[in-house]
Amino acid sequence: MATTVLIVDDHPGFRATARALLEAEGFDVIGEAETAVQALQAARELQPDIVLLDVQLPDLDGFEVAERLTVNGTGPTVVITSSRDRTDFGPLVSRSGARGFIPKGELSGQAIAELLETPV
Amino acid sequence: MRTRVALVLVAGVAFSAIALWLVFSSNHDTHPAFGAALNLVVAWSFIASGLVAWTRRPDNRFGVLMTAVGLTWFIGALSESNDSIPYTVGIVLGLVGFAIFVHALLAFPRGYLETRIVYLTVGTAYAIVTVGQVVAALFYDPTPDCRNCPANALQVVDHNGVTTALNAVLSGLGVLVVGATVFVLVRRWRAASTPLRRALAPVLATGAVTMFLLALLLVLELAHPGAANVVSWVTLFAFASVPLAFLAGLVRSRLAREAVGRLVVALGRARAPGEVRDALADALGDPSLEVAYWLPEQREFFDLHGRRLPLPANDGARWATIVEWDGKRVAAILHDHSLLEDPALVEAAGAAAGLALESERRVAALAESEWRNRALLDAIPDLMFRLSRAGEYLEFKGRAEDVAASPETLIGRTIFDTLPADVASLLAGCIERTLESKELQRVEYDLTLDGRRRSFEGRAVVSGPDEVLLIVRDFTERRRQEAELEALHAELRDRLEELGASRQRIVEAGDVERRRLERNLHDGAQQRLVAVSLTLRLAEGKVATDPGVARQLLGTATEELAIALEELRELARGIHPGVLSERGLEPALGTLVARAPLPVEVDVPLDGRLPGPVEAAAYYVISEALTNIAKYAEASAASVRVSRRNGAAVVEVADDGIGGADPNRGTGLRGLADRVEALDGRLEVQSVPGQGTRVRAVIPCGS
Repeated sequence: MATTVLIVDDHPGFRATARALLEAEGFDVIGEAETAVQALQAARELQPDIVLLDVQLPDLDGFEVAERLTVNGTGPTVVITSSRDRTDFGPLVSRSGARGFIPKGELSGQAIAELLETPV
Repeated sequence: MRTRVALVLVAGVAFSAIALWLVFSSNHDTHPAFGAALNLVVAWSFIASGLVAWTRRPDNRFGVLMTAVGLTWFIGALSESNDSIPYTVGIVLGLVGFAIFVHALLAFPRGYLETRIVYLTVGTAYAIVTVGQVVAALFYDPTPDCRNCPANALQVVDHNGVTTALNAVLSGLGVLVVGATVFVLVRRWRAASTPLRRALAPVLATGAVTMFLLALLLVLELAHPGAANVVSWVTLFAFASVPLAFLAGLVRSRLAREAVGRLVVALGRARAPGEVRDALADALGDPSLEVAYWLPEQREFFDLHGRRLPLPANDGARWATIVEWDGKRVAAILHDHSLLEDPALVEAAGAAAGLALESERRVAALAESEWRNRALLDAIPDLMFRLSRAGEYLEFKGRAEDVAASPETLIGRTIFDTLPADVASLLAGCIERTLESKELQRVEYDLTLDGRRRSFEGRAVVSGPDEVLLIVRDFTERRRQEAELEALHAELRDRLEELGASRQRIVEAGDVERRRLERNLHDGAQQRLVAVSLTLRLAEGKVATDPGVARQLLGTATEELAIALEELRELARGIHPGVLSERGLEPALGTLVARAPLPVEVDVPLDGRLPGPVEAAAYYVISEALTNIAKYAEASAASVRVSRRNGAAVVEVADDGIGGADPNRGTGLRGLADRVEALDGRLEVQSVPGQGTRVRAVIPCGS
């Protein structure tokens, strides 16, 4: 059974490309969200394995959404993404409860798979 | 000196003996006893008085001259000789004594001759009694007048007519000499000061009488030889009286010393300042006498009124004799030169007056210090009032235009009569406080004088029982300057505040601009490039399995890249237009206008480029103005003009839109104004509703 993914980003162009890319590599994209509120609702309803979460959202920032999703150690695996570099965020990624960070330019199914395989 | 006196006396006695022997052995003298006695009296009175004068003032030639008159008088006795040669010498040179007498008279009292007329007179006199007599003797035969007289040894021709003519000429010259002498003596008398006149009087009077008689004698000898004989005796008496008059003058001056005794008595009575001077003037007989008091602190002489009194140089008509008391210089007596006839008298008078002068010196010192204080007060521009406790004006000093009432009517009135009630009660309070505290009190008040509001500051000090001295200074001008300074300060503060605010806005505008750029980059070009990257990755995976889809994806990526490039270019232009820095304002405006959505007329009459910061500011003013026109003005056309005027760049952007723009609303225009003002320029916006908008910036181009 394919790994399910929820893509959260306010740019429709990025969501479309990311969906195409991940589906081409065997992921099952089960939903998309534009805002933090939509993201939290969709995660609750769809129960995806992975949430691909952009940092910059119109309402809340991605780290706060990640915290809420991973509270109590339950919930989906959160992968933070951004067009900025990882070094722009420092320890924010690990503190937010997210599994890891992938720059948008380097996004691929394999990159996500590698991140999932690294021990927590 | 003693030797000289002895020699003169010996010579006089010897000459007298010879003369007596000649007279009494003469075979042609009709009155030997009388003539001898009279001539001896004449000779010896001159010798005696001459010696007295000579001993008294050895440097004055008057004594010598008088002595010489006496000694040469004996030459006349030679004419009693029965031998031809001594007889001839006697009749020729017997009158030399008269010439010396004229000399002595004209040299009196200083002992030397002064003016040309005096020299001429004395010279003529000597010429008559020597050369004139010798020449006359060449033609003179004494025998017709004097049967027993010996022959004239000088006679060459016996010619009575020539003798008479020559005698007439010589007599005429003699009258001239006598006339000139009397003239000089009278003139000298008239020019003399009182003490000098007193000293000159006996000699000048007897001398003048003698001269007059001499002139009479000379005339009579030509006209009435008989009468002349009588006059000649009288003349001799008068002649002999001159030295006696001189001696009498000396005695009188000795008597003057008694005046010192009277002076001491007078000084004992002297009380009021100036009485010492009067007593001195009286004792010394010099009404022009002045007293100068020595003030050691000033190292100068002063009079009793405290005014400087410089001493004369002691070489003219006025002389100064210093008076000391107890070994210290006290004063100087300024007196007529003639008092020096008897300098000891002046010194004696000074010594007698020393103590009195010393006490009057204190009066002079007080007067001097008072005078100085008065001068000090006069030099102070402030108004001064002496006021009684009740506010009555006791004294006033100052300018009429600085007081509320006319100064003449001020004294005797009170401050309540002359000043507004509020000011008067303010001053009354100040007077009361001053008298109570005995310390300096200040008061400030305003008065309207001649329609002008003026501010005064008064300082009051106690100046006597129940009275204060109020010194008032006009500080209207100072107050005005203070107000001006305060206004300047306020303006400076405002400008500093404005500058601070402007700098903060510039910094904030910079931050906002950077955030905008970052956001634009992030949302624009960066997102597109991410998308291109992902699309290329997708295409990479499809190349083998689905080449058609891969090609389609590559096409999409290419389009995205083109858009990203365009966005980057747009962004870069927003940061700083490259054309502006490379090509200048006009080409940059060209690209700006080309992108504008309405027709814009551009006029840039500049020769050469503007300084970099000015050029950039001008560009952004135009760019922002065009953006605003495009967004809000609803205009159909706009115009841009950049010119240079009076060393400043003038930027004008106008449109024909709806107007009504508010320059204080929105950050765009405010940011532009800050940018312009940072270059010391100014930005104006005219935007009347319905009449379009005109933005005008004037930016100085610096030096």
